[in-house]
Amino acid sequence: MNLSELIHEFILALIEPGILVGSIGTISFINTTNSSFSLGLVFTCISLLYFALNADFIAAAQLLVYVGAINVLIVFAIMITDQSVSSDSEKRGIGYFTALGACSILFLTIVCIFHKINDFYSSSIHQSEYLKLNLFEQNDVQNIGYQLLNKFLVPFELASLLLLVALVGAINPARDEDEGKDIAENKKKSFVSSTSPRDKSSFF
Amino acid sequence: MNDINSFLSRLNSIINFSTILPKIILIVGLITIVITDLVNKGKNANFLYKIFLISTLVSMGILFYQLISVIAFEDLYTNNTFNNLFRFFILICSFISVLLSVDYVLCSKISLVEFPLFKISAGLGGMILSCATNLITIYVSLEFLALSSCFLSGYTKRDIRSNEASMKFLLMSGASSSSLLNDFSLLYGFSDGQVQLDNIIDKILFSQYIPIICISAAFILAGTAFKLSLFPFHQWTPDVYEGSPTPVVAFFSVTSKVAALCLFTRLFRLIFPYLSNEWHIVVELLAISSMILGNLIVVTQRSFKRMLAYSSISQIGYVMIGILAADLENGYASMITYRFIYIFMNLGTFARITPFSLRTGSDNIKDYAGLYMKDPVLTFSLVLCLLSLGGIPPLSGFFGKLYLFWHGWKAGLYLSVTVALVTSVISIFYYLKIIKLMLTKTTNLVDTLKTYENQKSLVSSIISTKLKSSVEMAMILCALASTLSGLFMDPIIKITRNTFF
Repeated sequence: MNLSELIHEFILALIEPGILVGSIGTISFINTTNSSFSLGLVFTCISLLYFALNADFIAAAQLLVYVGAINVLIVFAIMITDQSVSSDSEKRGIGYFTALGACSILFLTIVCIFHKINDFYSSSIHQSEYLKLNLFEQNDVQNIGYQLLNKFLVPFELASLLLLVALVGAINPARDEDEGKDIAENKKKSFVSSTSPRDKSSFF
Repeated sequence: MNDINSFLSRLNSIINFSTILPKIILIVGLITIVITDLVNKGKNANFLYKIFLISTLVSMGILFYQLISVIAFEDLYTNNTFNNLFRFFILICSFISVLLSVDYVLCSKISLVEFPLFKISAGLGGMILSCATNLITIYVSLEFLALSSCFLSGYTKRDIRSNEASMKFLLMSGASSSSLLNDFSLLYGFSDGQVQLDNIIDKILFSQYIPIICISAAFILAGTAFKLSLFPFHQWTPDVYEGSPTPVVAFFSVTSKVAALCLFTRLFRLIFPYLSNEWHIVVELLAISSMILGNLIVVTQRSFKRMLAYSSISQIGYVMIGILAADLENGYASMITYRFIYIFMNLGTFARITPFSLRTGSDNIKDYAGLYMKDPVLTFSLVLCLLSLGGIPPLSGFFGKLYLFWHGWKAGLYLSVTVALVTSVISIFYYLKIIKLMLTKTTNLVDTLKTYENQKSLVSSIISTKLKSSVEMAMILCALASTLSGLFMDPIIKITRNTFF
């Protein structure tokens, strides 16, 4: 093993325990705030993993979206709601063992798939083809930007409109209706009389 | 003279070669509505609706013009007759449903601006969905349509049922989008990284990957069947229809179904031509069960909107026969014609329910008893639309169904057509029951009808005609369309004929 591979292995050996510790912490902390912070640790370590695997755009997207938006949202929600620190007794019912069985089967499946892919790609023919693709020379971000503005222009602009509509729609149920009441009272004078059928209905 | 000619020809070429011009007009309308409301601080409601109507009308005009002339090809979305017809339908739906909703929104004292905003955005999403051939565009526009419809259905936020309806709609659309996304990722992976639908078919090696293709077909079916409310995925429909405000139900009962039909047809036709036997059987099974279920449960309903929800479930069953019966010479003519007629029938029925519920505040069918004495215009037009939904001869619903079933029989779907005929008879029974209730004179009127008043419109009419309000205009338009379309059946069929791709 030459120096660069050694450094690579060392970095991976640093990041992976971080992910493990973070995920165990997420499950087993009793205080939910602590567990949400360790979820943030997991996301950050995953994005460092992406950096180590030379996928810089995905790493940045992971930091921005998962850590910066989703995790912050989770922490806000936990801090706003009034959480009493409760400690449940550790009852190992049937659900525990079912989940344990299902997760271990999934884990074994993933390990088997990874071994098979590893064997497939470490044969020499495929390695030379893989290197021919020249993946390490590409600039991912530039490519993505280029495609976004050329081939995928319509979905891109549509997504920006979607964001506008989503913002308006999210604020609409949540805001105060004082403005609406004033305007409605102004208009009431021009209404035709007999409000009783309309008031009776809570149907709208 | 020469200048005018060259100017006109340049205008001609611009309109012809810009396939996204109708959508750009809708987007401009959307932005104008937001800015106008910001500037006016919520004072001038009519102007906003006028903007919406004008932009929809201009889009429709341009689209109609494009339908007639030959149009260029673009990469992200093609422009054949199929797409254009569906876009046209969606614009018609938006237009008519906004006519329905003006009075309702002002009367129920909910905030005014966002309503046309959401309607335009849902219409826009539907239009882009109709002509998308790119997996990503399909997904983003589907989300756009679903999100706007969800906000629309939760619009009257003080009503608990509206909140429930919007939650159910959100969950349903989330589930269907995730299923579709799963499928799209399968297709993307197995076609070696292609996103365009045409390229996907070229690249997938069908002989090699049959189990994967079957799985992806199942996912697409689940995803689109949610939006179409086919049989096992129909559970959200009655609750959402009953809870949402009535003009909103009118809008998305036609718009999202039309867009979802377009998506369904395109995906199944393009991606799985080799599997046509398998998915034909499955879709036939779903169609039969939707028809049976919709028409049987509709008999027990007491709320008008729930009844219309179940009847729309059964109508989708009929339309599925039209999809299955598509062949080379006729294209999807039967399905598109029936859809066209169905838009008018359905919107017409909702156009009658909306003023009725505004004036009496009730949705029970029993409260419609003896309506003939109080408001003959409403009764008569509702009778026409209900009969057209059922499929009684001189009205256009009959011609649509006839064409549909005839095509189905010709294509060999004997079981489906038989079941469809039987369930049509059941639905006619139910519609006639309502009509009888309305038309008979009862000695003691129901309480709600005693205070029924034939009120004038609450806002000044948007378009200065002699009619009293925009709802009445929509009513009359739909009534005329659902009766007289039967006479114009032949030209309609001829237009919808070359839609096979």
